[in-house]
Amino acid sequence: MACLWEPAENIKMGNSLQAAGPSSPKLPAWLPVAARLVLAIVFIYASIDKIRHPAAFAQALYNYRILPGASINLVALTLPWLELLTGILLAAGIWMPGAVMLSTGLLVVFMAAMGLSIARGLNVACGCFSTNGSESLTFWTILRDAAFLVPALYLFRATFFKDTHTAFLR
Amino acid sequence: MSVNAFRNWKRCLWQVPAVLVLAMGLGWITNTIRSDAIPLVADWSPEARLVGPGGRNLAISLNEAQKGFRKKALVFIDARPAEEYASGHIRGAISLPWDDVDARFMKATAKLSLNAPIVTYCDGESCSLSKDLALFLIQSGFTHVRVLLNGWSRWKKHGLPVGTGGEHKNG
Repeated sequence: MACLWEPAENIKMGNSLQAAGPSSPKLPAWLPVAARLVLAIVFIYASIDKIRHPAAFAQALYNYRILPGASINLVALTLPWLELLTGILLAAGIWMPGAVMLSTGLLVVFMAAMGLSIARGLNVACGCFSTNGSESLTFWTILRDAAFLVPALYLFRATFFKDTHTAFLR
Repeated sequence: MSVNAFRNWKRCLWQVPAVLVLAMGLGWITNTIRSDAIPLVADWSPEARLVGPGGRNLAISLNEAQKGFRKKALVFIDARPAEEYASGHIRGAISLPWDDVDARFMKATAKLSLNAPIVTYCDGESCSLSKDLALFLIQSGFTHVRVLLNGWSRWKKHGLPVGTGGEHKNG
């Protein structure tokens, strides 16, 4: 089977080159890079306040009433770094399969948690980008998360199912 | 599935745990060296979090509340809205709805001395009215205020004496 890599120069030259695959749409070559960077910025930015205020973030996690009490602080300490690392990996294009799986997985889990909170009628702060309780959790917050899922799912598909854009795969 | 995609599934199988471990390590290390560290495992139970301004825990157990009730040694204050109070409350309890506390506070507590042994309660595990009322009473100068968590449900469940309708005259 022919190597499915395309040299970087070819990608820079313009429209994406099609790997051996049926009916791949002609999408611009900068799309995967844009998706990576958008997600990277979101994740890195989201992690900063949580790293700086672990106690407040733990309180925000508690308010969702989902995690068992004993696990709350451990998650409060780990999750922000998970977001930061995922964002860095996405930006650098390193460990892409892992980064893509993590970013997609995290977004799905967040959306589920937020959906559950709203369904239960809890009036909680989102805790998504700030820990000071100013960010309410509303239907629009979930919609915003769904918007982030678009580049994530695009990368997910390209990484784990198709090879239309191989420039960012290692 | 193409070769590349399959290889990526395999790769993410070790990369995800690796990033997870790295994140846990970084979280733990930074926690040990920072000044505002949090305990790795904290007690998030409702009772443990019921702390008053002096750092004292405000929770009272159902057992103790029951004993105090029988000895008539406690003053129960219902923090729920008036309609809920009317449809059922701890017998002899005073109604002081948190949502109307400013208007009703003076009248409701007129006959209480500042060191009266007070127990506030509301209904449900996540109901915070009782705690809010307790903190308010403490700030207003009452020295012996405590909270019966999930008071109304537990009181009913144990078949303890209840009352209905308007306020009882509480000596």
